[in-house]
Amino acid sequence: MERETGVWRLVFLALPLGVFTVLVIWPLASSFYYSFTNWNGFSDNFEFVGFLNFKKLWTDKLFFNAAVNTAIWMVAAVLIPTLLGLGLALLIDSRIPGGSVFKSIFYFPICLSAVVVGQIWIWIYQPDWGLLNVAIGAVTNTSPDFAWLAKPDTALGSVIAAWCWQHTGLAMVIYLAGLTSIPEDLLEVCEIEGASTWQRLRVVIIPLLTPATVVVVALNVINSLKGFEILYIMTGGGPFNSSDTLAMHMYNESFKKYLMGYGSAISVVLFIVALTIIGIYFRELKKVDEIYG
Amino acid sequence: MAEAHPAAPVGREFNPWPVVIFIVLVCLAVLFLAPTAGVLLSSVKTTREIALGDLWSFPTRLYLGNFVEVLNKPAVHQYLINTLLVTVPATAASIGLGVLAGYVFAKLPFRGSEALFLVIVAGMFFPPQVILIPLYRLFNAVGLIDTLYPVILIHIAMGMPICTLLMRNFFATVPNALREAAILEGASEWQVLTRVALPLSLPALAVLATLQFTWIWNDFLWPLIFTQSDDKRTIMLGIVNLKGQYLVAWGIQGALSLVASLPTLIVFLFFQRYFIKGMTMGAVKG
Repeated sequence: MERETGVWRLVFLALPLGVFTVLVIWPLASSFYYSFTNWNGFSDNFEFVGFLNFKKLWTDKLFFNAAVNTAIWMVAAVLIPTLLGLGLALLIDSRIPGGSVFKSIFYFPICLSAVVVGQIWIWIYQPDWGLLNVAIGAVTNTSPDFAWLAKPDTALGSVIAAWCWQHTGLAMVIYLAGLTSIPEDLLEVCEIEGASTWQRLRVVIIPLLTPATVVVVALNVINSLKGFEILYIMTGGGPFNSSDTLAMHMYNESFKKYLMGYGSAISVVLFIVALTIIGIYFRELKKVDEIYG
Repeated sequence: MAEAHPAAPVGREFNPWPVVIFIVLVCLAVLFLAPTAGVLLSSVKTTREIALGDLWSFPTRLYLGNFVEVLNKPAVHQYLINTLLVTVPATAASIGLGVLAGYVFAKLPFRGSEALFLVIVAGMFFPPQVILIPLYRLFNAVGLIDTLYPVILIHIAMGMPICTLLMRNFFATVPNALREAAILEGASEWQVLTRVALPLSLPALAVLATLQFTWIWNDFLWPLIFTQSDDKRTIMLGIVNLKGQYLVAWGIQGALSLVASLPTLIVFLFFQRYFIKGMTMGAVKG
């Protein structure tokens, strides 16, 4: 019996583990290997160059620039959708009519592709007839033709706004699900004890939403780390690298300049950043489980 | 009259908050819908109308020429067919692998299976750029660059973590007694999986099908790296390609975006429930 179970385990796991090893685990390991070479992407010959690629990272101003932009991007892409999502969830949860319609409206951008979202927002920022300039013009009675995506000062922020538009709904539905798990009688006690709305929010609701917050923040961190496509579509990292992130920089070095060895070194850095964040996440998750589990 | 009922609190009779909240939500909803409205409006206007700065107003008449142009373009047909050829097999296969692995992790655990499970789930968290270069070299070596196969295979592998996670969690809720009874009756593990566990897991399968279909349909990165010729491109790359061709033909771009988003919009409309379930799983765990 036990032996038979063992055979079935093997039969069931062979294909999934095979695919996963060949297409995820092995490439991950080889990324480290290539980061110590000078492979150019097509030649069969390449040399082992030791830590040369990593030394280059230190002096590469564009890498530093991309790292700073990644930090800005991640902080904004995590904080803004989380806070907006929480706000929307609280508003919708207050039993107003049409709650499910609002929910769908705020949530549906998540089913659009990065290409389409990018396209939509390129039009909003279009200098001549973009909605943003038209709206500013209508309010200030001028006719601005500011090119939001073509100016180094506003490019990154403009893409972040588009990102937040797409990802706020995700945070909102997770918070809404979290809100349904708050016991009704706890809120009744608040009412009986005469707690103000703010007190109820600060002392009861937000602490009880901690598990939801952990999930929201984790999802936002993961998604923002992967946020490459929308930058590629909207700015391509420009103008003058002002919206370059690590993922973008890695793509340009590897697939535009064919410096695959150097590109691998950048992806190793990206991997270490991801690993650190995942480590923190699993630790926090365990803490949450201990408190609320 | 008021003095006759001194106990009735005046403030209770009209609570303004629901009305205020409702108005705030309506304003926010309008703001949220405005970007999408732009695409809808552009798709039913002529290029001339848009160039005159008239994108954001309501159209006086419906102009369907943009859709005619997009839908009659052979390249667009090819993009859509390619996208289907990637999305359908990759969705089915990633769920299939997730079912197999999830069943073992839930019902046939072994020493070290928990650690193995975590390794697979961790795959969900990594930016795909990390494995881009080795995969490029791998598929280059076997001569599959500029075909759809690498895209399909990678989506199967990258989809496996979420499928395994969800199926394992779902199978865990299927009572062990059911499996043991079936085994006693002489059923094999395969029969337990296909005749007992899977029929009970339709909701989980629906969640995964919805999520995987949407993600793979919308993907841009993998076809960007692995396909080169125009007749191998998927629809999302097609939009970017055709942009050069229709540089100022905004209306056609809008119609094309709409056509490309239609399948995922339909899936979203009909399976919204599953979509949300998939995205929020774990958020309210006890």
